Amino acid sequence: MHLVVVGISHKTAPLELRERLALPGDEAARLGCALHDGATVAEAVVLSTCNRTEVYLLSGDTGAAERLAVGRLAQRGGVDAAALEAAVYGARDAAAIAHLFRVAASLDSLVVGEAQILAQLKDAYQAACDEGCTSAVFNRLLRHAVEVGKRVRTETAIGERPVSVSSVAVDLARQVLGKLDRRVVLVLGAGETSELTVKHLRARGAGTVVVAGRTLATAAALAGRCDGRAVCFDELDAQLAAADIVISSTAAPGYVIDRARLAGIMGGRRRRPMFLIDIAVPRDLDPDIGRIAGCYLYDIDDLQGVVAANRHEREREVAQAERIVDEEVGRMNDWLAGLEVVPAIAQLRGKLAELSPAQRDQVEQLTTAIVNKILHLPTVRLKELAAERDAYVYVEALRRLFDLDGAAAVPAGEPGESAQPPSRRAGQAQSKATLRPSPSPGASGQ
Amino acid sequence: MAHVEVVVFWLGFLLYAGGLTFFVEFLFSRRELQDRLGLACVVAGWTLETVTLGLRWAQAGHFPVVGAYESLTTLSWAVVTVYLVLAWRTGVKALGLYVTAAVLLFLTIAGARYSPPLGLTTALRSDIVVIHVAVMFTALAAFLVAGGAALIYLVEDFELKRRHIRPVLGRLPALRTLDQLVGHAVLFGLPFLSMGIAAGVIRAAVYGGPHWWRDAVVLLAVAAWVIYAGAACGRLASGWSGRRSAWLAVAGLVCLLAIRLVAVPYLSGFHSWGR
Repeated sequence: MHLVVVGISHKTAPLELRERLALPGDEAARLGCALHDGATVAEAVVLSTCNRTEVYLLSGDTGAAERLAVGRLAQRGGVDAAALEAAVYGARDAAAIAHLFRVAASLDSLVVGEAQILAQLKDAYQAACDEGCTSAVFNRLLRHAVEVGKRVRTETAIGERPVSVSSVAVDLARQVLGKLDRRVVLVLGAGETSELTVKHLRARGAGTVVVAGRTLATAAALAGRCDGRAVCFDELDAQLAAADIVISSTAAPGYVIDRARLAGIMGGRRRRPMFLIDIAVPRDLDPDIGRIAGCYLYDIDDLQGVVAANRHEREREVAQAERIVDEEVGRMNDWLAGLEVVPAIAQLRGKLAELSPAQRDQVEQLTTAIVNKILHLPTVRLKELAAERDAYVYVEALRRLFDLDGAAAVPAGEPGESAQPPSRRAGQAQSKATLRPSPSPGASGQ
Repeated sequence: MAHVEVVVFWLGFLLYAGGLTFFVEFLFSRRELQDRLGLACVVAGWTLETVTLGLRWAQAGHFPVVGAYESLTTLSWAVVTVYLVLAWRTGVKALGLYVTAAVLLFLTIAGARYSPPLGLTTALRSDIVVIHVAVMFTALAAFLVAGGAALIYLVEDFELKRRHIRPVLGRLPALRTLDQLVGHAVLFGLPFLSMGIAAGVIRAAVYGGPHWWRDAVVLLAVAAWVIYAGAACGRLASGWSGRRSAWLAVAGLVCLLAIRLVAVPYLSGFHSWGR
């Protein structure tokens, strides 16, 4: 059995193609099922995000599996298979594992270190699992991949610093003002970035949002979307006196607020600090405002500078993340190699069949006698306890200890053990016992 | 006994040094683990310094504040205690770097000037001296923390003002948090400083001769008190905060450190017993 991955991503395919192959909702799992149903593929997981569509397969015939996957993808997207092949990348065995782990660690993402991919991978695995497209190898592999993603995020700073203008602005506001609970946000003018920033601030606990516009009508639209209050520019001084955070993005040709005006307002605030962001071009806020005590002013260039620096920092963490991925790929390969002993164990167990019927009878009698001997005392005690009020405690304990309801989880991660949810455990013994992950050409255990 | 005490003292010193290393590493590596390891080292070092002081107390037969070794070790213990309480109550951990650095400086001087326990002179056998020492150390510990927070505030404010946003900023507490920390620590330390100065003045007026007030220690202590009282009044009455408040906390701390590190050993006639 061999592991195969084929897919397209932002690195190999233009947006138009990615759009065609995007599989929203449960379509990814359905494609996985369709691939899994045939005789070629033993296990299948399909991952589809806005930047990638990838098919992970376990198969004895890698070439056939790859052709099948590309064919299905082309069919699904309504594109020519030959054209698709030009954009498709693929990897096998250790390289495929490394690719999956790099994807999980967000090393292959458009924005390195972004966090969504891990949740998307979990969802893709869960959907495939629910549809019954995974078994021992993929259960282990996908869970391991999620763990790798988590490990990379904890042990490196890859996802630590924000890489969008709005989140950088929020981080800076927190650096100046501390907790944002109940802070008053004043927005001057409307714009996509200021709206996003307000949403980020709200998510971090910011209180009142006031939107000021040239006319009440223009302000009201944004105020409605941000759950804020609209005011006119006439009230600006009063609003500035109350605001902790000011975001400005008007289309005004000159400064909306100059230094002298704000210095006067700051005098009446008992030096309560004010955090100002000027996203407008040309600028709305006089740059000299930054020199007033307690005023912290940043323009779009400052914020973009931080974004660039943070991106650079993330890239510096990549080497450390790659080391973690390599280490984990080694572990996964060791586990797969361990699966080879499973058939040997099965053969050993098969030896039992060589006993004569008389010998079997003797063994069974002996076993029954031992079981009766051990269970005698607990059985008697349990019957005695049945009369008591808290008898259910003992019954419950017995049920749990001996898994009488069949609900206990099988410990994950033991070589040769299925880490499958209980609903899917039945009927996997065969695929387990016959897996041979070593790259022997043409090996087929299915 | 004395050997054990010295060994435990230096082990505690090494743990603080380990804590400092982890805090520095944390500032640049941004690994949460380093911060926790640093704090763990400080807690372990503090425990050993507590044992050191206990052993010294048992050996000397009095509260260990006589001579440079005892007083600086006790002061370091008080500073770390205040820091640990603050870290536990407020979660502001960035002061760890500053506190360990300051404490290591004190302990280096203390270790270099180690002396066996000295007997108490008549002048020190007094309740008012015990009160003076206890409240002064509490005040000093609070002002050291205030000064540290103020220094960090000033650096961070400078960087933010000139829009130089470096990654290390993300590891420091928010400006407002630091400002509040400075304010609280000053307001907490001021009553103790007032009591300590009052107790010291009473003692000096009795034992120090007619010109007791001309002593460098007295003048510096009064200067520090004026600075801190000004900062506290300004904050309560006019909402002084930010850079002004931070500079006052730093200026006050400079006076206090000058008392401890310059005036007491070299200029003053007071506190000279036991040297």
